Amino acid sequence: MSLLLRYIPLGLLALLLWVLIRRRAYTACPWFFAYVAFGVVAGMARLAARLSIMRNPVIYTGTYWITEAGYDLLGMLVMYEVLRVALGNLTRAWWARLIFPAVLVAGIGMSITRANVVPSRLSGIEFYIAVGEIAVRFVQVFVFAGLVTLVPLLGLKWRQYPFGVATGFGLYATVMLLTTTKFSDFGTRFKLLWGWTSLVAYSVAVLIWIWFFSVPQKAQTPSSELSAPSPGDLKQYKDALRRMR
Amino acid sequence: MFSIIFTWLIVAWGALSCIYMLRCAWTRFPKRDVDADDVIPFLYPVDVSLAESLLDPATEFEFRWKLSPPQFREAQRKRMRLYLEVTRRMAHNATVLVRYADAEKNSPDPRRASLASALQEKAIEVRLYSLLAGIKLRFSLLLRADILNSMPVLAHLRTAGEIDGLQSYGALKTAAAAFVRLPPDEIESLTRNL
Repeated sequence: MSLLLRYIPLGLLALLLWVLIRRRAYTACPWFFAYVAFGVVAGMARLAARLSIMRNPVIYTGTYWITEAGYDLLGMLVMYEVLRVALGNLTRAWWARLIFPAVLVAGIGMSITRANVVPSRLSGIEFYIAVGEIAVRFVQVFVFAGLVTLVPLLGLKWRQYPFGVATGFGLYATVMLLTTTKFSDFGTRFKLLWGWTSLVAYSVAVLIWIWFFSVPQKAQTPSSELSAPSPGDLKQYKDALRRMR
Repeated sequence: MFSIIFTWLIVAWGALSCIYMLRCAWTRFPKRDVDADDVIPFLYPVDVSLAESLLDPATEFEFRWKLSPPQFREAQRKRMRLYLEVTRRMAHNATVLVRYADAEKNSPDPRRASLASALQEKAIEVRLYSLLAGIKLRFSLLLRADILNSMPVLAHLRTAGEIDGLQSYGALKTAAAAFVRLPPDEIESLTRNL
């Protein structure tokens, strides 16, 4: 795979970062903004390490695994943010706070079970990072599919930032879980297919984020800058209340 | 084996969600904008006083006192089915209002947009309550909790997910009356139908 194709997602991420800054999305989704900014920096660090791979291959391996751990951590925090924003307006029930820990435990459990079923060639810290990565993928699919299920059930508006973030991650995570589950049957061809699928899926995910963030999001709560209702509005309101009694 | 089946189920759930979102994006689903004329004829009247009496613990005690245990269980099942119908209607009306508010949410008038947001918030609260209360009621009816002689007390369904159903529905009615632009007589039929 040529170096240019491999770094298409980096270019798209840089474009997304620009869109996020323009939309001031760092106030609405700070962890997602941090994730994208980290993605750009990590991508550039990997590119620099790859260019110097002839001189010292350890630098690239080290950079790869350190940035991968960063992606895992931020991916988890973004999912926490998505759930907090999406469910925060819906319910104040005590059990709503338990949803994310439950999803996290389920994701980690699934990943550890999978690691036992399909033994990994990795060892040490790299093994734990890979297990963490699969756990994040499970969490992303759980959160995405759960939120999408709520759209028809509760009549939620689907075109809002948290749903966009969840959709991008959900699509990428679904494809990656599918490839790691199914493509392992392909044997030696697996690595090449995995690389291509990962590249295309991640690029599509970034395009989804760009599309969602390309339109400004309307304020959900009444703004404090709004003027008070006019006397006419108030009269209509009072009349309606009187009729209801 | 269990892990593989579970992984495939999760992947299938994720894939179906992707298809649903694609459909939403492709068809701009729900497509049709609902205007004020589409609101009243599509509402199902909700008898709030009936709902109040179904959730009233005193009425339930009265039933328990007057009827024999089998008669009480039968009456209680009927009351549960009736309340299920009430929550279904509440959820339906909330959906109609959500769609109407959606069409107005992009209004250039900030006050209209803000009222639309408030109406949507209330409608979603009502839908969430209806969903949770409906699940509880369906489970109780399905599992025939009466066989174990431990009928769930309907009064406990006043709140579900820490949402007071009737209070939220009342707030939705108020928000709808303040938001919908209709002549006074039609406003009256709106509040009557809700």
